[in-house]
Amino acid sequence: MNLQRKLQQLLRSLVQPLTAVLIGLLTGAVAISIVGASVLETYKVMWDGAFGNFYFVTATLARATPIILIGLGLAIAFRAGVFNMGAEGQMVLGAVSAALAALYVPGSGIIKMLSALVAGFLAGGLWSLLAGWMETRFKVQLLISTLLLNYVAVLFAGYLVSSPFQDKSGSAALAQTHMIDQAAWLPKLFQGMSVHMGFVIAIVLAIILYIILRFTSAGYEVRMLGYNPFFAEYGGINKIKVLLFSMFFSGGIAGLAGTVEVLGSQYRYVEGSLTVPGYAWTGLMAALLANSNPLGTAVAAIMLAALQTGAMGMERNTEVPLEIASVIQGVLILFVTAKITMNWWKVKKKAGDIHGAA
Amino acid sequence: MTYRLEMKEMTKKYGEFLANDEVSIQLKKGEVLAIVGENGAGKTTLMRMLYGLEQPTSGEIKLNGKTVKFSGPLDAIENGIGMVHQHFMLFSDFSVTENIVIGHEPKRNGFFDRKEAAEKVKALSEQYKIHVNPLKKAGDCSIGEQQRIEILKVLYQGADIIILDEPTAVLTPIEVEELLKTIQFLAEQGKSIILITHKLPEVMKVSGQITVLRNGKVTGNVLKQNTDIEQLATLMVGRELQKLTDRNQLEGEPLLVIDNLNIGVKEAKPILDHLSLTVNRGEIVGIAGVSGNGQSELIQAISGLRKIDSGSIRLGETILNGKSVAYIRNAGLAHIPEDRYLWGAAKEASVEETGLMGYYRKKKFNQSSFIRLNGFRKLVRGWIERFEIKTTSLDEKSGNLSGGNLQKLIVARELGFETDFLIAAEPTRGVDIGAMEYIHEAIIAKRNNGDGILLVSSELTEILTLSDRIAVMYEGKIVDILDRNDATEERLSVLMAGGNENESSTKTTTTA
Amino acid sequence: MELLDLSFFTSAIRMISPILLAALGGALCARVGIFNVGLEGLILAGAFSAIVGNYYSGSVLVAVLVGALGSVLVSLLFGLAAIRLKANPIVAGIAINFLVLGLTTFGLRAIFDVKGAFYDKNMEGLPKLDIPVIEGIPVVGKLLSGHSPLVYIAFLAGILLYIFFYRTVTGFRVLAVGKNEAAARSLGLKVTVLQYGAIVACGILCGLAGAQLSLGQVTMFTEGMTAGRGFIALVAMMLGQSHPIGIVGSSLLFGLMDALSIRLQGFSMPTQFTAMLPYIITIIAMFFLKDRGADSQLSGQQSSR
Repeated sequence: MNLQRKLQQLLRSLVQPLTAVLIGLLTGAVAISIVGASVLETYKVMWDGAFGNFYFVTATLARATPIILIGLGLAIAFRAGVFNMGAEGQMVLGAVSAALAALYVPGSGIIKMLSALVAGFLAGGLWSLLAGWMETRFKVQLLISTLLLNYVAVLFAGYLVSSPFQDKSGSAALAQTHMIDQAAWLPKLFQGMSVHMGFVIAIVLAIILYIILRFTSAGYEVRMLGYNPFFAEYGGINKIKVLLFSMFFSGGIAGLAGTVEVLGSQYRYVEGSLTVPGYAWTGLMAALLANSNPLGTAVAAIMLAALQTGAMGMERNTEVPLEIASVIQGVLILFVTAKITMNWWKVKKKAGDIHGAA
Repeated sequence: MTYRLEMKEMTKKYGEFLANDEVSIQLKKGEVLAIVGENGAGKTTLMRMLYGLEQPTSGEIKLNGKTVKFSGPLDAIENGIGMVHQHFMLFSDFSVTENIVIGHEPKRNGFFDRKEAAEKVKALSEQYKIHVNPLKKAGDCSIGEQQRIEILKVLYQGADIIILDEPTAVLTPIEVEELLKTIQFLAEQGKSIILITHKLPEVMKVSGQITVLRNGKVTGNVLKQNTDIEQLATLMVGRELQKLTDRNQLEGEPLLVIDNLNIGVKEAKPILDHLSLTVNRGEIVGIAGVSGNGQSELIQAISGLRKIDSGSIRLGETILNGKSVAYIRNAGLAHIPEDRYLWGAAKEASVEETGLMGYYRKKKFNQSSFIRLNGFRKLVRGWIERFEIKTTSLDEKSGNLSGGNLQKLIVARELGFETDFLIAAEPTRGVDIGAMEYIHEAIIAKRNNGDGILLVSSELTEILTLSDRIAVMYEGKIVDILDRNDATEERLSVLMAGGNENESSTKTTTTA
Repeated sequence: MELLDLSFFTSAIRMISPILLAALGGALCARVGIFNVGLEGLILAGAFSAIVGNYYSGSVLVAVLVGALGSVLVSLLFGLAAIRLKANPIVAGIAINFLVLGLTTFGLRAIFDVKGAFYDKNMEGLPKLDIPVIEGIPVVGKLLSGHSPLVYIAFLAGILLYIFFYRTVTGFRVLAVGKNEAAARSLGLKVTVLQYGAIVACGILCGLAGAQLSLGQVTMFTEGMTAGRGFIALVAMMLGQSHPIGIVGSSLLFGLMDALSIRLQGFSMPTQFTAMLPYIITIIAMFFLKDRGADSQLSGQQSSR
């Protein structure tokens, strides 16, 4: 009986995202038919591009890695009730700090790697903390300040790698750092495949976060703060402390997203390599799709990554352009918070609640 | 003769729930009709249908003998019906004039003519003897003034039928008097007034006809001269009220001691002004006062939610001022908050999560920062049983509980801490009689157990029923403290309006 | 090369117009209680549609109209989600940005069969308007004359919007909706109609902004050519407190900064820092200004849903 109700609840919570996915795929289908390709065949090619063989699966997981981490970081902030829009800046600062730490901290490979991880986490976390502090101390709206700080962070990182720390050895003077010593790289999970240790870090973190949010008093405090800050304060939760901690970890994990990209696949910080693929925005979508549930965020991130790698496969093998993926994604997110299916039902129920006697 | 307004057999169903069951009312020109009833009796639903905000399931509305149908407030307004909402619908950044003319703005060459608007408002204000300052910002007006803006607004819209929804709830006794005069004057000018309220003395003062609602049905329709307050009360509640458990005489030592508390000293008017108060063990101290005279701030200061400028607050031997909420709660304070949705719960959180607040820190339910849910669930189930809280499960969202059930959950949670001291702020606001009796019983029981309780309520009857001593607050000060046996509604009203305590009281017991 | 010569200011004025137009559109939305993060997408839609219109009609006027129309359609989609379906406007706005980026790039392939950018030498750009009397005045003439009509329209739109908000009845009601939606509804004001009206007007303004981008200087469309201007417009709107004159001021500031950072490239100074300036100034400004325009709706946007 209890199980049945839980199952029902689960199904009900899935209706909304699934409807959004359906609308997204339908829009994609329309776009595909416009270019004159066969819808089913194209989607099949897309599926193969994402999951068709082991190599593609690992490529999808590799792409998903930063997205999961970004999504997890944002999920913490969302749970605490703050709209952190600054994942991009936090990630980029994390990445550039990690690259510099791996390059300039003396010691063995493992020390370089660890200090890079710590530096990346701290840089992202502190950058995010700055926005949190401005919000709690001066009531500077976090949603806006994080958005603004993105530009500052990205430009600052761009400055670092185009002037003082630029790798000038290459023929074309790209804005990038030197390459990190191979000993400090995050190991690949499989020989010759792109997925690396960062993926494992991301999944483990998702599980840990799920447990913390669900079962611990710290998680309870974060959730209650997000639900109703007044209630949290009234109940003895230190609002400012919890908010600042949430922002620190939120940004720290975003910084980690940049760090594992640097240590696991780029081996240096290259300007634009993290912003152009839109990891931050995709991670935001993953968190939104999953309603900030850490495990759900990981799943949603892998799905979105699959959509992107699938679209790349599609572009290789068909005439259909890659951008179908962002069309589908856009529509998906557009409808994910919309009250479509249960609109009518909810209105009725609410009316009853208001007027219902005690 | 034809009535100006007739509502015939109005029925409104929300799913299975009958909010209005064949309710009929009639209203003549120049008449004041009072519609009285408990919370949830269906008064608001009836008026929402009249104002076009809800569509009736069945029934008929007739204006001057003609059947009408309103699809929205605009229809109602055009047909001469105006509503003064309980929560004012004002734009605080706009001027008084702008607030009044909005929707029917005077124009010149297609532009908004603010000058003409101000003149019109002035004329209207003089015609009906309702004083406002047309150029002031609405947000800077006092509550009474804001209500006058609302009344002028419906008059400006050309209303002949004016609905006033709980208009006196937020007013000082003097403002209430003024409002009642205005209502009478408007009726003399030929306006028809519908007064929605649960305050019977006011009803007896101004209305001609009284319709009583209970559980969505009309339980009585009487003329003022043929009835009295007792009869109306019985019609409203449907039964005799339970008698509260006797209070045993207790002589307790001081528990909560507030000394010379000040908040907002830098502002033009201090929020709390040299306030001293003591609550003894085994005693309920009630705070009476028109809302907005510092009661909320006092509660927040005691519970650690607001910083104080100077003074001291002690609970037994523990100093509370300057400490965190968690520390204060740990020292032995529980707190039923004045607004259950703002402070007392999170609508999105489950019943269990709402109940868990505070308990998750207790050793019993916290094992190296992992919450022991199993033990806690037993406790919550106990509350649900004891207070007969209606919920489908512990996973139900708190926001889905009715107001009374949520309040009972909050009361159960706070009583469950078994602290020496309890703040009970508006413990029964907006709950039905059944829940109210439960909560009152529980508070008395706590008192008889030797604990101290500070009760804050805007309902004088509640204060008078429960308190051992009554402190009256006015403009951040405690103007007088009366003993239970010396306090009457009349005396409290005078004090609450800032009247001189020496004139009104023969014997004062002041505890400093 | 001088750091601050006349051409510096003319280029600043030119750069202002897309930001100003879009920020005014955003302000309209903010004033009816909808925080529109999708300006970036709306501008991009306008830029692309304008090029499409230009390519097929050969007329600049038609191109601008098509640009506005394209942006309005996307804007209505945003309105549908945010108003009708009650989606979180911030999420819907983000989605719009993504959607349009995908759609326009997709459109480049589907319509013009190119990747990255589309250029056709037969396409005609926006004309330069020489204003008779002013043209003759030294310095001022150079500064104020010879811009595309959309530059003038942008400043005109700011003034018109001011008159609309503070002199007309409809504008007054628009302000009322943003200040207290529940009260506006209870008065029987047509809140939803006003909101859609604002959404459509925002679409038109962003469409014009886009047309200025794709037809103003070089007549071409490149993938993601808005390059964050929509967000800058959003920031300009907030810095200007959703007040038309305030927005003209903040857009001027941003235009100057933009022009400055381009100019500084020629001075071997790290451009990143000048590019940062508008954002840092805005952050500092937020310490002092408690944004009233966007405050009410943001407080309701605390949680992710």
